Amino acid sequence: MKFLWVFLLVFGNAFAQETIKIGVITDRVGVSKPYSEPATEGVVFAADELNRAGGLLGRKVELLIEDDQSRPDISAALARKLVDQGVVFIISVSLSPATQQQQTVTMEAKTPQMTPMNSADYLTTQLSNPYFWQTGPLGSVQIATLLAHAKTKNFKRVALITDNSDLGQAIAKAFQGTLEKAGIQIVASEVVSRGATTATPQMQKIRAANPEAMFLAGVLTAENVLIFKAYRELGLKFPIHSSYNLSVPIYETVAKGLIDGITFVDAYDPDKPEVKAFEAAYRKATGRQPVNLTGYGYDGMMLIADAIRRAGSTDKEKIRAAMQQTSYAGVMGAKGMKYGFPDGKRTGYDPNGMVVRVYEGDRQGRVVYVGQK
Amino acid sequence: LQDFLELAAGATASGCIYGLVALAYLLIIRPTGIINFAVGEWAMVGAFGGHFLLSRYEWPYPLGMAAAIAFLCLLGWLTERIAVRPLLERGAPLLAPILALLGVLVITREAISVSFPPDPLPVPYAFGIQYQKYFIIGVTLMVFAGAWLFFEKTIWGRSFEAVSLNRKAAALMGINLPRVTALSFAGGAGVAGLAGLLVAPNTSAHYLMGVPLAIQGFTALVIGGVGRVEGALLGGLLLAFAEQLTIRYAPIPGGYAQGVPLLFLIVFLIVRPTGLLKPE
Repeated sequence: MKFLWVFLLVFGNAFAQETIKIGVITDRVGVSKPYSEPATEGVVFAADELNRAGGLLGRKVELLIEDDQSRPDISAALARKLVDQGVVFIISVSLSPATQQQQTVTMEAKTPQMTPMNSADYLTTQLSNPYFWQTGPLGSVQIATLLAHAKTKNFKRVALITDNSDLGQAIAKAFQGTLEKAGIQIVASEVVSRGATTATPQMQKIRAANPEAMFLAGVLTAENVLIFKAYRELGLKFPIHSSYNLSVPIYETVAKGLIDGITFVDAYDPDKPEVKAFEAAYRKATGRQPVNLTGYGYDGMMLIADAIRRAGSTDKEKIRAAMQQTSYAGVMGAKGMKYGFPDGKRTGYDPNGMVVRVYEGDRQGRVVYVGQK
Repeated sequence: LQDFLELAAGATASGCIYGLVALAYLLIIRPTGIINFAVGEWAMVGAFGGHFLLSRYEWPYPLGMAAAIAFLCLLGWLTERIAVRPLLERGAPLLAPILALLGVLVITREAISVSFPPDPLPVPYAFGIQYQKYFIIGVTLMVFAGAWLFFEKTIWGRSFEAVSLNRKAAALMGINLPRVTALSFAGGAGVAGLAGLLVAPNTSAHYLMGVPLAIQGFTALVIGGVGRVEGALLGGLLLAFAEQLTIRYAPIPGGYAQGVPLLFLIVFLIVRPTGLLKPE
């Protein structure tokens, strides 16, 4: 019996030494699932790729994956659980409010945490947590990029349409503010409510206002599809400029035949060499085509790996210092974009690193505009 | 004018959907007095049936529709067996099955949300995007004509009437009460499922689509009155026209237009609490 204890102590300890534990907090059943699932697949793929190449600092990477259902109340408890299990970094890919709640734990436990995907502007402004970084493109950057592209078209009169969800309303308000500041007149502003069976009256009203273009701020997929259906059915021709919600690949199947020519803001350029390499490797390993959301998770894991390598240790303080010095080109972002946190900033996505893309047929197609200048 | 005709066709189609959901309520309320809010979820199940059979397995359209509706009828019948009849047999008050059916609502939605992906799922059109409204209108008219004939002309429909007038007397006259109740649930579920199937090519199949449909259908029912089958259709059409004409022509900001039909409903209830059509 005594021998067994000694055995466990010696070897148990040796096993624990062997892996570098990274915590992943994702959403498997909640509202963020459509985003979180592909991002988590990207994290897992990145960890596998690292391990195939010999791991980090000669040790294997081990992922501890937890599901918080996008619920802030569960999220903090899971962050605590992961810290207790000895993770050296937590990567958060569920909803922004849940990520925010996890920070209360990581700040206190001095454990590095990052989100590669969340876009809420408040994540780094409300809490001064030196152990937290955000590399997802901010909501404000997305809107600025889309409108910078629209400005090149010299629109004078545009229409705005959204849904009655919180986020849809917030994005519409931001669109409206920026458009008005640019001196562009909003000739019609319409709302499609959740659960509507048609968007024809709204689109008729917009048609009657005769805009040069329409801005789509809605984030509810089913209601957006109604808008596209009414647009096609009424044979409308003005261009549609959409929020990043249209970058979610589900539209390729659920809005088949309706989305050709719609421009949308995204963080993914399919022509970028890093993207081509990533897509080829992902297809080879999994037999499936990755989507833009997969890239967020992949970049997150690779940013952490880069910081641990440069830290040369799994000491959390050393990793924190290394992370702050990041300069890394990943899958996401415009060509040549690098993630970095200069001047003590903790948002790492270059404000000029987003792109505007266009749907070609039913596929998310080429990049038509870069940055917000 | 062309603008108005486009709108009228679309509003008629939406009104038919609301009317079908209202009819699903009505089929159950008439003989049993039970308000079943789970009809919205049954419509949702119908929409997912459409996705499953018509989109994923690409069955021929009539066959897929028939199979989905048959499945819904079975589901309605089972619901009555499991959640309603045991309560009624033990003499529970009418509120008990209504609450039990709210439980059915939650269970149905959760079952669908864990068995399918979270995104809205496509359901194909019967004949193409331009013709779906006319398809909806045609099918709805057939269903209402059928329901009207059933209630007015068949002995079975008459027995439904009798039960709705006086349960005890009807039972004494030899009408099989449990069978009428079971049939009303099966029929209600079938009609609700049909509504979901018809609307889904436009709205996609989504696990949260049930409650809005349940509310719109109930509003239509209140407007039309529970007394007569035609009331459900009339109520649905009125509601849809009120909604869409407001959005299109009323000079108020976009976000507020959605409240107008509900105002309309409140006024309507004050002026005419029994609904538009009086029972004969």
